[in-house]
Amino acid sequence: MTNDDIRIGVFVCHCGTNIGGVLDVPSLADYASTLPNVTYSTDNLYTCSEVGLTDIKENIIEHKLNRVIVASCSPRTHEPLFRSICQEAGLNPYLFEMVNIRDQDSWVHMKEPEKGTDKAKDLIRMSVHKAALLEPLERIKVAITHSAVVIGGGIAGMTAALNLGNQGFKTSLIEKELELGGLLKSLNKVFPSNEDASNLLENIEIIESHDNINIYKSSIIEKVSGFVGNYKVVIKQNKKTVDIDAGVIIVATGAIPLSPEGYFGYDKKKIISQLDLESLLKNDQVKANNITMILCVGCRNEERRYCSNICCMSAIKNAMLIIEKNPNAHITILFRDIQASGTVYEKYYRKAREMGILFINYLPEKPPVIKKDVVDVYSDLLNQDIKIPQDLVVLSTPLIANEDSEVLAKMLKVPLEENNFFLEAHVKLRPVDFATDGVYVCGSAHWPADIAESTSQANAAASRASTILWRDHLEVEGSTAEVKTELCIGCGACIRICPYNAITKDEETDTAIVNKVMCKGCGVCGASCPKNAIIIHHFTSDQIRAEIFTYGGEI
Amino acid sequence: MVIGAGIAGIQASLDLAERGIKVELIEKNACIGGRMAQLDKTFPTNDCSICILAPKLAECSRHPNITLHTLSEIQSVEGSAGNFTVKVLKHARYVKEDECINCGICVEKCPMRVEDNFDMQLRKRRAIYIDYVQGVPAIMSIDKEKCLWFTKSACRICEKVCEREAIDFEQKDKEIELNIASIIAATGYDVFDPTPISYLGYGRLPNVVTSLEFERMISASGPLGGHLTRPFDQKEPENIAFINCVGSRDLKNNPYCSSCCCMYTTKEAMIAYEHNDNIQSTIFFIDLRAGGKGFRDYIQRGCDDYAIKYIKGKVAKILQDEQKNPIVIYEDINTFEVKQPKFDLVVLATSMVPKKDAVRLSETLGISVDECNFFKSMTYHPQKSSKEGIFLCGTCRAPMDIPNSVVDASGAAAKAAEIVMRV
Amino acid sequence: MGFLCNWCSYAGADLAGVSRIQYPTNIRIIRVMCSGRVDPTFVADAFLHGIDGVLVLGCHLGDCHYITGNYEAEIKMSTLSKLLCIVTFSDRMRLDWVSAAEGNRFAQIVSDFTNHIQELGPSPIKEGKNKTQIIDDLEAVKSVLESSRLRGLISRQRDLVTEKNVYGNQITVENFKNLLDDAINSEFVRHKIVIKIKEIGKSVPDIANEIGIKAKEVLEHIVVLRSRGLVDVYEINEEIPTFISIQGGKE
Repeated sequence: MTNDDIRIGVFVCHCGTNIGGVLDVPSLADYASTLPNVTYSTDNLYTCSEVGLTDIKENIIEHKLNRVIVASCSPRTHEPLFRSICQEAGLNPYLFEMVNIRDQDSWVHMKEPEKGTDKAKDLIRMSVHKAALLEPLERIKVAITHSAVVIGGGIAGMTAALNLGNQGFKTSLIEKELELGGLLKSLNKVFPSNEDASNLLENIEIIESHDNINIYKSSIIEKVSGFVGNYKVVIKQNKKTVDIDAGVIIVATGAIPLSPEGYFGYDKKKIISQLDLESLLKNDQVKANNITMILCVGCRNEERRYCSNICCMSAIKNAMLIIEKNPNAHITILFRDIQASGTVYEKYYRKAREMGILFINYLPEKPPVIKKDVVDVYSDLLNQDIKIPQDLVVLSTPLIANEDSEVLAKMLKVPLEENNFFLEAHVKLRPVDFATDGVYVCGSAHWPADIAESTSQANAAASRASTILWRDHLEVEGSTAEVKTELCIGCGACIRICPYNAITKDEETDTAIVNKVMCKGCGVCGASCPKNAIIIHHFTSDQIRAEIFTYGGEI
Repeated sequence: MVIGAGIAGIQASLDLAERGIKVELIEKNACIGGRMAQLDKTFPTNDCSICILAPKLAECSRHPNITLHTLSEIQSVEGSAGNFTVKVLKHARYVKEDECINCGICVEKCPMRVEDNFDMQLRKRRAIYIDYVQGVPAIMSIDKEKCLWFTKSACRICEKVCEREAIDFEQKDKEIELNIASIIAATGYDVFDPTPISYLGYGRLPNVVTSLEFERMISASGPLGGHLTRPFDQKEPENIAFINCVGSRDLKNNPYCSSCCCMYTTKEAMIAYEHNDNIQSTIFFIDLRAGGKGFRDYIQRGCDDYAIKYIKGKVAKILQDEQKNPIVIYEDINTFEVKQPKFDLVVLATSMVPKKDAVRLSETLGISVDECNFFKSMTYHPQKSSKEGIFLCGTCRAPMDIPNSVVDASGAAAKAAEIVMRV
Repeated sequence: MGFLCNWCSYAGADLAGVSRIQYPTNIRIIRVMCSGRVDPTFVADAFLHGIDGVLVLGCHLGDCHYITGNYEAEIKMSTLSKLLCIVTFSDRMRLDWVSAAEGNRFAQIVSDFTNHIQELGPSPIKEGKNKTQIIDDLEAVKSVLESSRLRGLISRQRDLVTEKNVYGNQITVENFKNLLDDAINSEFVRHKIVIKIKEIGKSVPDIANEIGIKAKEVLEHIVVLRSRGLVDVYEINEEIPTFISIQGGKE
């Protein structure tokens, strides 16, 4: 494009007296008209008002402007507005630039109007030089597959699948085991209602007969490829391979209870785990009268520093069930901190204490010692060693990540945190999303969760997934990165540096290729490429250099 | 319809809007953002609260599928799931929303000084105001009850100085009727007022503050500009005590656990230390509840890197000396001695309680409350209220932290979407 | 000149404006989406065009809107800093973190930096005595920052020290630092040599004199540069060869 073809329009705003009362706005408009490629230049009282917007539109058409600059407030607030005005006038929205002469000039240099005006001149000039290099960019439409894959058929996976199915999306539920239900199948009763765990599995019937849900039992994930809206999942069901197309993937693979093997002389007979206790209770086989439960076995230590959140309540639940059955039982729970947050759980804990269950705080430096008929423990509240008679010891262990988490994480290109639980995009504001678009996580695969939390997270993941699935297509931002394949040497630096895994290697050409759908336009790859082979559209190196050079001047 | 535009209400609205569903977002205050806008930093990442909130506020106000109704309250709800008729009372703002550009001249000139609720009454605002500087919508409002024109038929200076002629004293409250498929309640919480717990001295002893007051004090945009000084003599505190479970786990006040205090007192102590590394903080706790992701490590960092001491024990009493330094009386459980350390400042981690009008709103909506007056949710379907078609999320149903509120909100959006799809 | 990231520091600057916090007028801001976008060659360019001071402001570490962008910025600016140190220009560049809520902090940083630059005086590239020398130095710095070797190292730094390579080896932070420092120093000298012999051919002792390092070192660098195809023999005078930069060649 020759210089004659670039026709820039500059609109300088007074913003009432916000800018006009400090800077010499008319002189800015005059100055702009002297700059290269500026075809038209004017000043407005309120550019963002109906009058101002119409002025822009009319002048684009009248003067055949193909670049527009508005010098006013902050692009963070007003860029979308002016971009859509340009679009209405038939101009590509990426051919628009804003100069911040209010929040970053008139408002902060109120006592130095002349210098502020000089600054505004520089900023406008920088923008004019950048604008000359702007290119029109398209927002591409990408087709998507309107179905979901949910990996894991426990309470979380089932809830997510059910919600998506109810919303009308075809969902494939992949379960490793022979039957759905996950950990719930091994439980006797659940807290805080103390009802049968099987009650929570009543939904299985609905799910199995749901029109929109396909269940694949005894299936594992073999391969995952693609990107948001266009995933291809290959599963192996028994010996058969099945290909499934999906727009989104939800990880609900849960967690497993740590076996207390090696802790406290675990022997599955007199020293058992809470999980063992669940089966005993289910079959009414608990005969002991003096039971000691030890919490935090195998966690909150050097190896596993975390607290597994749900074990306190599990232990309390089982203790309460035992006493209800056998009012003569003496139960002592040795704990470090009791996790019973919120309205319901604190009440549950109080009830347990009222039932006569004894709670003794133990210190990690002085762990309980199990002897033949007693448990020795030092109580820091009483400041003395205590001997608790016992004929059964129950150990509470944490939930730990599944062994196949690493494999799955690599397949999905999502990260794990240090305990191998899946790592979400942002702990506060995107707790069920991954940084990679289109993949979500819920339940204990994310972090040890009880039923209420798993259900909430599952619904949340389904909600997030549905924001993609309902669309006809995905519209991709125009200001993304692009690799100039002729310059790329295939070193892979950009592939590893991209926070969104948006760059992959093209198998045939051995060069990098950016997935426009996943690219967020941060520009880090462009600043890193050893060969300067990546263009960051709308913030290209040439554009940025043009701004620098015109400010600095020639030496 | 989403009632309440704190982080939970905003998240639910955005999910639904992104799902192609139209949302009427009702907010009682003039600005959206709720409690999260009042916080300085959030655990466990210690990132700046308003920084991570602001993009969501902007998205909410710009989204074509979300209609924001601020200064609005629910009058009545009739009908059933899929077909509710909701009457909303929109209070007059007295400022034209299309004209106000938030330049601030009116605020500068307004002569009235009013206790600022956003800043926990630590600062005064004007009768024409915006809740907080980054508030969305970025439009001023006039507090009818404090404005000289409405109370004494005088002044109207704001009208004179506004260049956009945006002040309109003739505006009237308006009632609108909306047809709604599904309702999500996300009305949030209030903070327990510890004055009744007289032995803690709040209200009597000037250097005893609540945790939300402390948040405003350390906040960069708060009344002290982020420079931590104590109320009585503006001395920089170097010894701070945090007392957990104030008004919670307490049969006389609220029996439940407020779920976040263990974490947020650690956070506040950390931020105080970042401002001034001479600060030594002591946290008095009963159980240290840190079961969430990364929470135990966070507490450990507090111990290791931020000079925080954790003392297990309930505080019996707080007194003060002549310089108004609070004295915290507690029993050392290891030695059985009664100790009386002196501190420069005491922060009470006050419990979350249901909003004052929660019961009234529950009656309007026709949903049940539990014995603590939180909106009652189904045990294993926590977003479901007692009424079909009405869902709950966030702290209006139980005390919870931000990640849980966000999950709850998305969960509620999913359930609401099911209803909308059925219609 | 200030490079501000859209999500945090630019927002912080806007907040300073909304709060009417005043600060000196000397700064001109270029908006980028992420501080990680700021190629260190931009900063070198800024200095080469007479700009007196450059501020790069991003989100606080851990808060980057693009998750890891600011860590990359930190790494890039650290290498830039080392190079600027070699040419005693480092004091004119500053990397810092400003969140969207820190209007005051932004204004403070700008004020402090402006004062600091004013104390240092205008860029030596404008004034005079060693003008050509400084220009050459900065050109060399820019050249180094454009070279694939340095860019490759910097862009893989975080990756190399935190993850193992295909053989299961991991490089310690200490080792990497030494590797990088070594690369920086040697590449700088090499690029300086290339610039020195751009116009006319010079002999090894002459080059050594001009740059101020031992002839033996110069010879080693010349050998490397030759193998990269960046320099070649110009002519031989009484058995003493002179070398000149040539176009093309691969890095």
